[in-house]
Amino acid sequence: MNLKSIAYRLAITLALLIAAFVIGYLFRTLGLPETNIVIVYLLTVLLTARFSHGYVFGFLASLFSAFAFNFFFTEPYFSLAINTPSYIITFIIMTIAALITSALTTHANRNAIKAREKEAETKALYTLTNRLTEAADISDIAGIATGAISEMMNCKAECLCFDRQGKPEPAEDLRAGYNIGAEFHDWPVHGREATLGIIRIPKDAVKTMNESQTRMLRAVIESIALAMDRFRSAEQQQKFNEDIAQERYRGNLLRAISHDLRTPLAGMMGTAEMLLNMTDKDDQRYPLMEGMHKDANWLHSLVENILSLTRLQDGKLALYKQEEAAEEVVGAAIRYISRRWPEYEISVNVPEELLLVPMDAKLIGQVLINLLDNAVKHTAPQDEINVSVAKDTDNNCAVFSVRDRGEGIADCDLPNIFQVFYTSRAKHADAQLGIGLGLAICEAAVKAHGGSIRAINPADGPGAEITFTIPLEVTNHESI
Amino acid sequence: MNQYNAYVLVVEDDKQIRNFICYSLDAEGFKHIAASSGQGALSVLIAEPVDLMLLDLGLPDFDGMELIRKVRQWSEMPIIVVSARDQDKEKAAALDLGADDYLTKPFSATELLARIRVALRHSARQNSGYRMQNVLQVGELQIDLDKRLIYVEGEETHVTPMEYNLLALFFKNIGKVLTTKQILKEIWGVGHGSDTQALRALMAGLRRKIEKNPAKPRYILTEIGVGYRLVDE
Repeated sequence: MNLKSIAYRLAITLALLIAAFVIGYLFRTLGLPETNIVIVYLLTVLLTARFSHGYVFGFLASLFSAFAFNFFFTEPYFSLAINTPSYIITFIIMTIAALITSALTTHANRNAIKAREKEAETKALYTLTNRLTEAADISDIAGIATGAISEMMNCKAECLCFDRQGKPEPAEDLRAGYNIGAEFHDWPVHGREATLGIIRIPKDAVKTMNESQTRMLRAVIESIALAMDRFRSAEQQQKFNEDIAQERYRGNLLRAISHDLRTPLAGMMGTAEMLLNMTDKDDQRYPLMEGMHKDANWLHSLVENILSLTRLQDGKLALYKQEEAAEEVVGAAIRYISRRWPEYEISVNVPEELLLVPMDAKLIGQVLINLLDNAVKHTAPQDEINVSVAKDTDNNCAVFSVRDRGEGIADCDLPNIFQVFYTSRAKHADAQLGIGLGLAICEAAVKAHGGSIRAINPADGPGAEITFTIPLEVTNHESI
Repeated sequence: MNQYNAYVLVVEDDKQIRNFICYSLDAEGFKHIAASSGQGALSVLIAEPVDLMLLDLGLPDFDGMELIRKVRQWSEMPIIVVSARDQDKEKAAALDLGADDYLTKPFSATELLARIRVALRHSARQNSGYRMQNVLQVGELQIDLDKRLIYVEGEETHVTPMEYNLLALFFKNIGKVLTTKQILKEIWGVGHGSDTQALRALMAGLRRKIEKNPAKPRYILTEIGVGYRLVDE
């Protein structure tokens, strides 16, 4: 409280007391009873408490009123002495009444002021939030924020925004009047994931801040953090959507091309085979045609794989799930491979009891074919290749496993073999074996079934083992 | 009918594949005629004594199913459908409509000719007295239709009546792909249209009796997504 306001309040108190004396004197001249004068003084105390903002002046006014009444309006006049003892009771009651009146009024007064402050705060915050919603970008938000804070604190506030990497972004508000030597108080703006920026307020303004201003400042900073967070996540969402659209476009393009390549490739394969059949095996041209046939075959597999993979990754391939006998799917895959590679003997273990697994048989059949194909390519014909199926009762899933005693998987390849277009780094350049999609398709297909796939080099000997699981119970999540 | 006198209609719109098929047929001594559209195929079927039709399901002008349905109205000739890998549903539907077998592109000449031979043999049997035969045999597997008995490697093997019915159905359609739907209808009757699990269980039981390793069947092969087939050796 400064001197000026004290003087102001003192003046009000004095003026009211003088007014009370004048009215009281008038009443006495007119011969009205003293009770009226008591009431006038009570009114004076009430008004003093109302207008002087504080307990002190109300209290002083109460005491002074009691004395003034005694001094001016009770016999003997202009003396603190009293003739009638009943006046003592009047004084005491008057003093108590005056004190209580003063206290209550002051209290009510303070509450009213607080309510007004709150309302103003709420209104200011509401306006700020509204404006923040309309902000076009982060620097706009910062501008609105500093504007609001500066206005509220009556100072020059600044805002420093951080970008996604946590580095300061040049903000307009730091352009002018930035005095290195000046002392500032920094308030961090915390977002959900990181600190989004700093609000910088001159030390002088911070020193004179009262409680309500501090509270308000906190609320404003919180609004800013929310606005920035919202803006950033909206930005991220948009980028994500764009990425997805681009990915989809790429997938569609790849699919369209693959689809159109398929028929001519089938024709080329047939024609090459036809030529092969027309040619004598000793003919020089035979190996040339054979190469042509093999390449066309390879291209065709690639095209088919691309089609399968893009469909799987897009979620466009609707799984046609049915309870299928695991042994039938395994048997069909082995038959397919045995037809292509008759020199390989593939052993198989299935449970004695029929194991029904909810799956898209065609797709899981393709997974097994891809895995076996891979095994055959990395294993000599005399070495063992084994397929096994077992029921894992603990995890309620079927476990399929393709194991070979071939060269195994290089350690550097193990973490990557399910990646699209990954072909072994450990391979020789002339070994054009991997299409780089077969295992990626396996992973996508198994994942589409809610299962998992992994590759290891077994500890008990050479070779590789790839194991995948298919849940036996279709959960709600999958059936969507 | 000697199968090498058979007259084959090739319905295929892609020129290269058509050429390849026709060449393969030529090399094997089959007489053949080609059509590049469904309409063309119909004209040929009406005018010529075709013994077997090789039909690509992806015709530009005509639904392959419609063609099969039309042909089946007047002829029992073997129909082999040719489809792309992602046309499984069409494949099964074509077999349900009465097609005898299917080939998935790309196929080799060997595969094609083998399928044609099987289909012609099956058709020849239907027309001759094959059905009158009481004892049928595939490899080491024998069925006596009169006594309702099954022999594996000469040993009588006990099977349940349902298993016997199933195996008998396959022997009657030896070499031919039977769709799950067709088998269900034959064994359980029309009412049990979609209980494929029961069929899988029945098949598993039968295989454990007639096959050495049920996961590497020698006799009844699984055609994934379509049905089963008893090999014709």
